[in-house]
Amino acid sequence: MLGRRGLLRFLIVPPYLWLAAFLLAPVVLIAIMSLRPEVGPINFARAWQPTLDQYRTIVGTVAYMRQLGISALMALIVAAAATALAYPIAYFLAFRAGDRAPLFLFLLLVPFAVSFLLRVMAWRLMLGTNGAINSFLEWLGVIHDPLDLLIYSRAAVVITLVYVWIPFAALPIYAAMGRIDRRQLEAAADLGAGPWSRFWRVTVPLSLPGAAASFFMVFIPSIGEYVTPRLVGGSETYMYGQLIQDLFGRAASWASGSAAAVIMLLLTVLLVLLATRIIDLRRLAT
Amino acid sequence: MTVLDKLARPWPAVLMILAVMLAACGTGGSTTPGAASASAQESQSKAPEPNELTVLEWGGYEDPKFWTDFADANPTADVNFELGNNDADILGLMEGGSEADVFHFYTGWQQFYVDEGLVQEIDTSKLTNWDKVPDSFKALGQVNGKQYYIPWDWGFTSILYNTKKVPEVTSWDALFNPDYSGHIAMWDDGPAAVTVSSYVHGYDETAITDEQLASIEQEWKQQKPLNLHYWDSEYENLCPEVMSGDIWVAYAWQGCYATALYEGTPVAYANPKEGRNSWVGLYGISADSDSPDLALKFLDDKLAETSCGNAVTLFYYGCANADVMAAVTDPVLVQAFSIDDPSILENTNFTPPVTAAQRDAWTAMWTRVKAE
Repeated sequence: MLGRRGLLRFLIVPPYLWLAAFLLAPVVLIAIMSLRPEVGPINFARAWQPTLDQYRTIVGTVAYMRQLGISALMALIVAAAATALAYPIAYFLAFRAGDRAPLFLFLLLVPFAVSFLLRVMAWRLMLGTNGAINSFLEWLGVIHDPLDLLIYSRAAVVITLVYVWIPFAALPIYAAMGRIDRRQLEAAADLGAGPWSRFWRVTVPLSLPGAAASFFMVFIPSIGEYVTPRLVGGSETYMYGQLIQDLFGRAASWASGSAAAVIMLLLTVLLVLLATRIIDLRRLAT
Repeated sequence: MTVLDKLARPWPAVLMILAVMLAACGTGGSTTPGAASASAQESQSKAPEPNELTVLEWGGYEDPKFWTDFADANPTADVNFELGNNDADILGLMEGGSEADVFHFYTGWQQFYVDEGLVQEIDTSKLTNWDKVPDSFKALGQVNGKQYYIPWDWGFTSILYNTKKVPEVTSWDALFNPDYSGHIAMWDDGPAAVTVSSYVHGYDETAITDEQLASIEQEWKQQKPLNLHYWDSEYENLCPEVMSGDIWVAYAWQGCYATALYEGTPVAYANPKEGRNSWVGLYGISADSDSPDLALKFLDDKLAETSCGNAVTLFYYGCANADVMAAVTDPVLVQAFSIDDPSILENTNFTPPVTAAQRDAWTAMWTRVKAE
């Protein structure tokens, strides 16, 4: 019979192996690939001399670095907006929904039943020149010609991404609010704090770790987005994730695509480390 | 030390990294691709071929109507598809170790697969439909005097335009006309951009100089704000917007032209003074294929009447079977393929082969244009 340690090992080893095989190993392969000197048939058994040429090319191309900055900024906006919009949803679920919280939580998760691609494609129907929003505005008489800016613009990409991420962002905040000891709110009330004061001085600080987790959960994948800008973005909405895809797919240069991916990974890790140093989550939680 | 602490040690990761790095930097392999394929072929001759086939295709071409003759003749064969988005993607997947037996790409990219030992020569004497393929098409599948590829689909590239919004288009420079700002769509492809600029400026597209490429890059960077978007899928983000009226001027293939005509959209397909472009799709059999005979049968059947006919009548692509093309009478298709214009081929530029250096420079240029 398994002891406590044995059980723990039994439970923990499989996910470790899984992550090593399907997360760590591909990342290592990408890192190795980024050091390859040339394109051509990929044969790891053949000798090759590692080089930083691909990194020099990527970093030395101003347009690529500019895209990395723009993508980071867009991810920042998306993460901030999704977190801000998810916060009231999580608050409602944690403090106001009462016995119906599971039902509302289920409703929040309903969009996940529809494929990501379909949800993004649906926004094309909403934002398109002859889409729902333009048609409605024309019907109201607010506009006479369809608004071009609604689709194939950075705004369209941001709007779509925020929509996609809101349900994800609400979950960590909801979990954090669920852990708040209600007696702290009662104590604050007993000491004369009004509803707003209790919210700002008790609920918000105690839920901030959840909000921070939401922010990063949205920020990290958004910085490398390429599907959404491809579907609702235009010529002027290129993102760094599309650059990586293009280097792999259109330039047939897996080495430079890998280098671009590693640069993005390093930047993301750096930004997250920087943010976690500025925002001390453990201190916030106490 | 707790169990968790022990498990937190990164030994599994370290072992894996070491294993991968050893494999990556190993010097044990001096095998050339040609030798590898030769030994593979030797072993193939001893063992019976598996009754399964993997086809590396452009997305959309996996439709069973494109290979219906093979499916009917080989009902037990297991045909699987890997999909690529463009020629560079297909080449990248082949270079990356795709297990495809058959792969599909377009004119301009013939040399790379031969140079890199990724393709095997085709024994055309085993093909029953080969005599229906025009010699000019057969020649496109030859490299260094050997038949490595089978031509299959073909078509034109020109300017597709909305006749209610745009007067007659007579030049490729319509793609750069600011009057159509926000309603232009260029294909998302570097070599295509170089081709268009070469036509407009009279450059020799097989010998583009560095200065010309720099000027082409500037030209497309300036064109970028005029573009609604770069399309990358004819039936996903080009045709729907041509038919909705969002796109007025587009770099397009004749398939979208025929689709729009069938839908009653007011469109025309330009005969630019610089000439249209024409392309031909080619199939090759992988040097490492486990099923070369089945692969050959698959390609032979693709040239058969029904499969080729479906490409023409259902998807509006030309097909290399001359008998099928001769039987086209549908007025829309006659118009789309300019079958009623005997001079059309005289004013058509066939896509020339590109070198690896040109391909890399042009795709890098295009990536910079998009990232600008």
